Formats: sequence, C-alpha cells, structure tokens
Amino acid sequence: MRTALLGKMPPLVLVTFTLFLFSCVNLKSVGEFSVTSTESLKNFEKIDYSFLQHCLDRCTDEAIRKYEIKRAQECSCELYQEADSVTQVIYNTIEGYFEGLGHLSQNELTTYSSDAVVNALTAEEFGPVQIDSRFATAFSSLSNTLLRATTDSYRRKKTAQYIEEANESMQVLLEKFEVIISTNLKGELRFKRERLYAYYMDMKMNQTVLSEYEKGQAATDYYQALEAIQRKELELEVFGESLAEIAKGHQVLYDNRNKLSVKNLQELLQEYSSHVKELVSEFNKLNN
Amino acid sequence: MANLTSDQAKQLSDNFYYLGMAIGDFRYENWERLSLDENKELSETQNMLLQTGEDILAFSTTLIMDEVTESLQKINSISADIQGTIKTLRNIQKGLNIAAALLILGVAITNRDTKGIGDSIKNVYETWSSPQL
Repeated sequence: MRTALLGKMPPLVLVTFTLFLFSCVNLKSVGEFSVTSTESLKNFEKIDYSFLQHCLDRCTDEAIRKYEIKRAQECSCELYQEADSVTQVIYNTIEGYFEGLGHLSQNELTTYSSDAVVNALTAEEFGPVQIDSRFATAFSSLSNTLLRATTDSYRRKKTAQYIEEANESMQVLLEKFEVIISTNLKGELRFKRERLYAYYMDMKMNQTVLSEYEKGQAATDYYQALEAIQRKELELEVFGESLAEIAKGHQVLYDNRNKLSVKNLQELLQEYSSHVKELVSEFNKLNN
Repeated sequence: MANLTSDQAKQLSDNFYYLGMAIGDFRYENWERLSLDENKELSETQNMLLQTGEDILAFSTTLIMDEVTESLQKINSISADIQGTIKTLRNIQKGLNIAAALLILGVAITNRDTKGIGDSIKNVYETWSSPQL
C-alpha cells in the first residue's frame, strides 16, 4: 500500500517529502529531553547548601573552636555571596532555556517570559563567564516564538534554530555550572571535613574529654557530623553528573538538528534522558 | 598578569588544603615538644591555610597571578615537598617559620597582590631550603 502510494507521487513531491522527513527535528523527543532536564536542573533548589552557607558555617566552627560567645556573629561573607549570585544567574539561564525549549517543542503556548533571563545575561555581576550575544538574542525572541509557534513545521524550524543559537552558550554555561557545583562547592565541604577532624583531634590530644562515656560520645558526634558532610558531597556530585549528561544530550540535539530521522533521534536522546532520570532518582534519595 | 583558570584555581586550593593538613599532622606529631604558644600559633596558621584554600575556590577564576603557569609549578613543587616531609621534621622553629611563610603567601593570593605572590613564593622556597634556622 505504502509502496503503491509512493509510486503515484510526482518525483519533486517525493524528494521534498523525504527531505522533510530527514530534516525535521523530532519534537516529542526534544520535549521529553527538555522536561527531564528541567526536572533535574530544578534539584538545584533542593540543595540545602551554598557558598554563603559554607562561609556562615565556617564562622560558627571558628567561634566554637575559640569558644567565643558574642551577641551577634561577626562574619564577612560578601565574596561568598557573590559566588552564589553568579551561580544563581547561571542556573536561571539554563533552567529558563530548557523550560522554553520544552514549551516550544510541546506546543504549549504559555505566557512564558524570557525577560528575567535576558536581564540576568546582561547583568554586570555575571562575572567571568562569557556569553555569546546571539544567545541573549535567542532568548529575547523566545516569548515571541512561543506565541506564534502554532504549526508543526514552524515549530520544528524554530526549535532547530533555537537549539542552534543556544548550543555554544549552553555548553559553556553547563560546564561552568558543573565546575561550580562539583569542584568548587563540593570542594568547600572537604575543608569543612578537615576542620571537623582538627577540632576532634585537638580535643583528643588535649585530653579534654576524660570519661569513657564522653570519649565514646565525642567519637560518635564526630562520625555523625562527618557522615552528614559526606552525604552532602555525594549529593553535589550526583547533581554535577546530571549537568554533564544534559550537556551531552544537548550536543546530540545540536549535532542532529537537521539530519536525523525521527527514530534515530529518539533512540539517541533516550540514552541521555534515562541517565538523567536515574541521577534525579539518586539525588532525591540522598536529599530526603 | 592573568586570571587563573578553574583548573588552576582548583590546583592551588588543593595545595592549601594539603598544606593545612600537613601543619595539623606536624602539630599532632610534635604535640609534646611544642609549647602552648607554639601549638596555638600553628593551630591558627593551620586554620588560615584552610581558609585560604576555601577562599580560592569561592573566588575561583577571579584570581590573578603573574606568570601563572610558572608560579603554580613552583607552589606545587614546594607544597608537595613540604607535605611529604613536614610530619617528620624535628626542627620546630623551621616548622613555625614555614607555616608563617605559607600564611603570607595565602594572604597575597586572596588579596590578588601579584607582587606579593611572587615575593612570598620566593620566601617560602628560601625558608624551606634553609638548612639552619
């Protein structure tokens, strides 16, 4: 039947139809990948730790170590707050992008506004990360695209264009975000561990604790605190891994935006979506 | 003068982490031989070195240095040497001096004082190489 139908088609129509099939982006796969990525990214808001929190904890640890009792804690954490601001802007940008991509690929004509992201991208405090101006332009035109993207062919074209314009910046941002989380923020916890070790070692060497019961209690307290830090480190590591997977998945989207058949793209993206889902599940177990 | 990359900042932070650990190990190994004041001084230095490592991670790519690669190589090399031998160092005064020199280097890095960084690296190297203090 299919052969018979194709046989009756004029050659030009057949070529156009084939080209269309092979050039279109599989919107369902893009939509699924975007939703999974957004869900994973939103876990950032569940991470109960930040540079500022680390700085405040450090002040508390120091006050305890020195046995300083003050009416209010004196803590200078401005630069740590700055590190949080940069991280927040990067997060907002990536999350906003995938949310937009999800809406676009699923034909959800929402009142999505890209203003916050565009403002963030042009903010001075964006720091050392360089963003391609085309990316900011792609964002600012997203709201408009979403409102007009009513037909499938138009959406496909716009989705491919959106992915194309965003990929370079997305790769930079996702890599930077991963470094901040997996190396910098997680790395801060290693220092917290060492300070904890020094505190209990000093206590032991000074023979502050004398009774057997107190010794046992001190050792228990130490290992409980150590475990809590290690759990947080693992949580950050898992979140960082999911960022790397999202970046790889987006690269696949970019590489195949114009040349893959529907089935192939679905298979390729499925691998990344599944892995991100597994990491989301792992993260949630650690976060509970 | 150039900004440090994320990798370079991580490497530098690692050095201060391990140096803080090394000073701690030196204290615990020589606990009985250290006076109360010496122990306190080293404990403060240990904490400051750890804080420097933490600050480096938070500031990351906003840090600057002259001849970054060369400076980092020098810090890496001397840091590895100190970590490997300070625990068994018998000369308490040398331990105190090297701790103080490292502290000055840390302050120069977090203050983005490029001249201070160069001078401090030299000072750490000379302090550590000196046979008698």
